Amino acid sequence: MSAVTPGAHYPFPPASAYRLNRCLFALKSDAAFRQSFQQDATRAMTEAGLSDQQQKLVLARDRDALVAAGAHPYLVFMADLRLRMDRSAFEYF
Amino acid sequence: MLVGAFALAHTPQLIARPDTEDRDLVLRVHAAFARVKARLAALRPDALAVIAGDHVEAFFLDAVPALAVYVGRECAGTFGPYEYRFEIDEALARAVVEQGIERGFDLFYTQDRRLDYAFFVPLHFTMPEPAPPLVPLHVNVYLPPQPTPRRCYEWGRALGEILGGRPERVALIASGGMSHYPGTERYASPDIEWDRQVLETLQAGRGRELAALTGDELDKTGNVELRTWITLLGAVGDRPADVYCYEPSWHHGNAVVEWRL
Repeated sequence: MSAVTPGAHYPFPPASAYRLNRCLFALKSDAAFRQSFQQDATRAMTEAGLSDQQQKLVLARDRDALVAAGAHPYLVFMADLRLRMDRSAFEYF
Repeated sequence: MLVGAFALAHTPQLIARPDTEDRDLVLRVHAAFARVKARLAALRPDALAVIAGDHVEAFFLDAVPALAVYVGRECAGTFGPYEYRFEIDEALARAVVEQGIERGFDLFYTQDRRLDYAFFVPLHFTMPEPAPPLVPLHVNVYLPPQPTPRRCYEWGRALGEILGGRPERVALIASGGMSHYPGTERYASPDIEWDRQVLETLQAGRGRELAALTGDELDKTGNVELRTWITLLGAVGDRPADVYCYEPSWHHGNAVVEWRL
């Protein structure tokens, strides 16, 4: 009956990945952080407290490895989408 | 008093359509939303109580409420080029949080968090004019461990009783669903068959059966957001659902549903 089962699509985000998830959250939701990341990703991630290994995973945009390291799948998805997003590519209603 | 109840998809591609999305499908969902907007106008609600699951926008891992009520003067946020700002029915929101706590639900409340597209997408298309104020209600759907379906149903039953005892005419909206798996390897394979079974159950007026689902089943079927519907079902009981549309795209089961009260 546990709501959190190994193999779940949305597993519990471990505390070891807190800064990694905070960085992905900021890429998704904080335009100023996203801009600083786009100017100098290594510096932005270092200031955000990510380990060298976590920085490599973010730079590689390797979803499976990021999730295995504790990143929340939705945050991985949206951070990547926001970094690639071009508003002109959408039809707005 | 409760005067209306609806469950509405909030797929962001319904507002911002990239060319990966079938335009005709998007327009069919818009047409169902237009029917809801007309219904809402006819129901003349004094307030809209909107149950939605924040997408890790208002609530990050620094504070993860299971159930939250927005009790401010107003609430706002942006989506693409759009800026949204809604008045909150402060007296009604405060009654919900106070009476909810009296009934044993340890609710989190906020006077200053943002809203996200879980609120914007349905309201973008269905908000009647003039716009009634909101009571935004958050259910944690994306940050495990989430509240159990049974707890959501019980909270919804209490919410229905609280709103039912108020003088305001309130329409209840559950935002989200159905099957989708954003960020996972199953993104392109929503569980359409499971969605259809749920809709048949709801059309048959057996909504309470959803309270017996487990968190694992919701995760497995891409329906973590169905917690918002299950909360609404606690309030509306076993009335049969009127399914305006079910439009599964390549990644998302888009549903628009009404329960006539």
